[in-house]
Amino acid sequence: MADKITFTRVIKLLGISAKMDLAWFLRDTKYALAIIGADIVSNLSVVSAVFLISARFGGIGGMSVDEVLFMMAYSTLITGIFVMFGSHNNIHISRIIGRGQLEHLFIQPLPINVQLATCSFSPFTGGSNFFVGVVLMIIAERRLGLQVSFGWVLSLAVYLFITMVVIVARSYLVSSLAFYAPVAMEEISYTAVEGTWLLSTFPLSGMPPFVQIPLLTVLPEGLMAWFPSLCLLGRPPLGLSVYYPALYVIILLPITSYIFKRGLSYYVRKGSNRYVPYGFRR
Amino acid sequence: MSEKALTDTFPTGFAVSLHNVTKSFIQWQRDNSGKGILRNLIKPEKKVILALSDVTFDIRQGEFVAYAGPNGAGKSTTLKLLSGMLLPTSGEISVLSMSPQKQRRELMSRLGVLFGNRTELWWDHPVIQSFEWKKVVWNIPESVYRRNLEMVTELLDIGGLLKTFARELSLGQRMRADLAMMLLHSPEIILLDEPTLGLDVVAKRQTIEFLKKINREDGVTIIVTSHDMDDLEEMAQRILMISGGKIAYDGDFDGLRGITGNLTRVVVTTENGFVPKLKNAALLSSENGVHEFEIDLAKTSIKALMRLLSEFDGVCDVEIKKAPIEQVIASVYSSWK
Repeated sequence: MADKITFTRVIKLLGISAKMDLAWFLRDTKYALAIIGADIVSNLSVVSAVFLISARFGGIGGMSVDEVLFMMAYSTLITGIFVMFGSHNNIHISRIIGRGQLEHLFIQPLPINVQLATCSFSPFTGGSNFFVGVVLMIIAERRLGLQVSFGWVLSLAVYLFITMVVIVARSYLVSSLAFYAPVAMEEISYTAVEGTWLLSTFPLSGMPPFVQIPLLTVLPEGLMAWFPSLCLLGRPPLGLSVYYPALYVIILLPITSYIFKRGLSYYVRKGSNRYVPYGFRR
Repeated sequence: MSEKALTDTFPTGFAVSLHNVTKSFIQWQRDNSGKGILRNLIKPEKKVILALSDVTFDIRQGEFVAYAGPNGAGKSTTLKLLSGMLLPTSGEISVLSMSPQKQRRELMSRLGVLFGNRTELWWDHPVIQSFEWKKVVWNIPESVYRRNLEMVTELLDIGGLLKTFARELSLGQRMRADLAMMLLHSPEIILLDEPTLGLDVVAKRQTIEFLKKINREDGVTIIVTSHDMDDLEEMAQRILMISGGKIAYDGDFDGLRGITGNLTRVVVTTENGFVPKLKNAALLSSENGVHEFEIDLAKTSIKALMRLLSEFDGVCDVEIKKAPIEQVIASVYSSWK
């Protein structure tokens, strides 16, 4: 009988990924530091550009400079979590599907979702943006004079979790196409998620509703940082409820799950005659 | 094709059972002409490829089975079906009395799979790191892991490779490390797809000896595919040959020789460049007084052959050996075309 997936088992799986990440960091420290440095600079450049514009004009679309800083901190935290848990193509899963690498997962005695959630945990080489995000969040919170309680920190954690679920669900939704067209759709997840990443750091306050509404529904870039930040600041936009992101996830998840499972079923019925080792278990 | 119901499992006393398994794929056909491109937009042309057609066989625990067939015969498809990577179109599959599709997790903790052109090792880590990763993912008890690590390190001679990065291993070293990793959880059945592909003579010998040993001493059931028939004959006691998705032969290697007419090689060494003329025999080569003939023992008995040779003056030596299995298989493949 297959062993049960307990909390301890998940921690052990995350632990071995973290251990391998630390081993890589300590073995190739010079290169690891170069990558971490470049990663921080790249992410800070994106958020600084928006912050500097808001500083020059005294805010953007009704959001003050400090509120924009708060939103940038939220965005950096999301980038940090993404890098920490998704650096082995387990979030950009169209690459794994398109390259025929799912078969490596089938031969492990673990549920596929547990494998994908734990296989790329890299707190040492991937945690830098998360750390920078925490620092930015503390600075923004001080400047805004927020009353930080346990409940507020819990809300922040819940919103971060919801945003990550939206990112992963969106990626898996578009990645399902790779089951049917592995070569053409190999990069679809990267294109769909990272291709619009810059848009997610832009404060949408002040934009007309016909821009805001699509960006909170069809292309949910507004849910990446702008909407959750305003909810945490106590003024959700467009008269929507603070529960809107949770509702969005409740609708998106079953749709994604259904479409992805259909794709997976197609894959195990038809198979994939493509196999590319590139990028797997690096 | 009749669609038969897939059952969860059918417990058998066999290590592996396939009953009436059919697996078909759809292949899209593309036409490069303008008309063809337009036609493809409206109604794409499809072709159904029958990878396996109503295949039935059983493999007992502890058997070492060679699974052979020409390119595209359905060998890898069978291994993928057995390891739960693919679903059959119809039929029943049981591995250790479990369904590879419905009980994938349970089965994977007792099954080892290795495809020769892929690696399970972590590319940018030392080999031992991959082994430790496997220990956690497969939840291998410490004592079992230590015992197996010691065993594979000694038998596969990989002590010097454990601290080497997987990316720096040669093909033969990588194959040995992959084999070692596959065995860390003590699998009861192992499925190997072309494990000797691209290996040099030394690496090939190490791999073959190792597989024979774990089959003989630990009773591990092994199913192996290869295009190298001499390797297969040396390793396996039984050969399953597949052609056009059907089992074309199931038996031992001598039986396979029998169906091609019991072809035998006779090497005759003579003095003074004399070439003996043998009835029902084809001269394959003749060099420095050494002449190799192919003879069908179904037509000419050994007794008759020896009597004939004894009549010639100048015959110094006679050697009779089985026809290389490669040639037998080539002859079988040709007859299937």
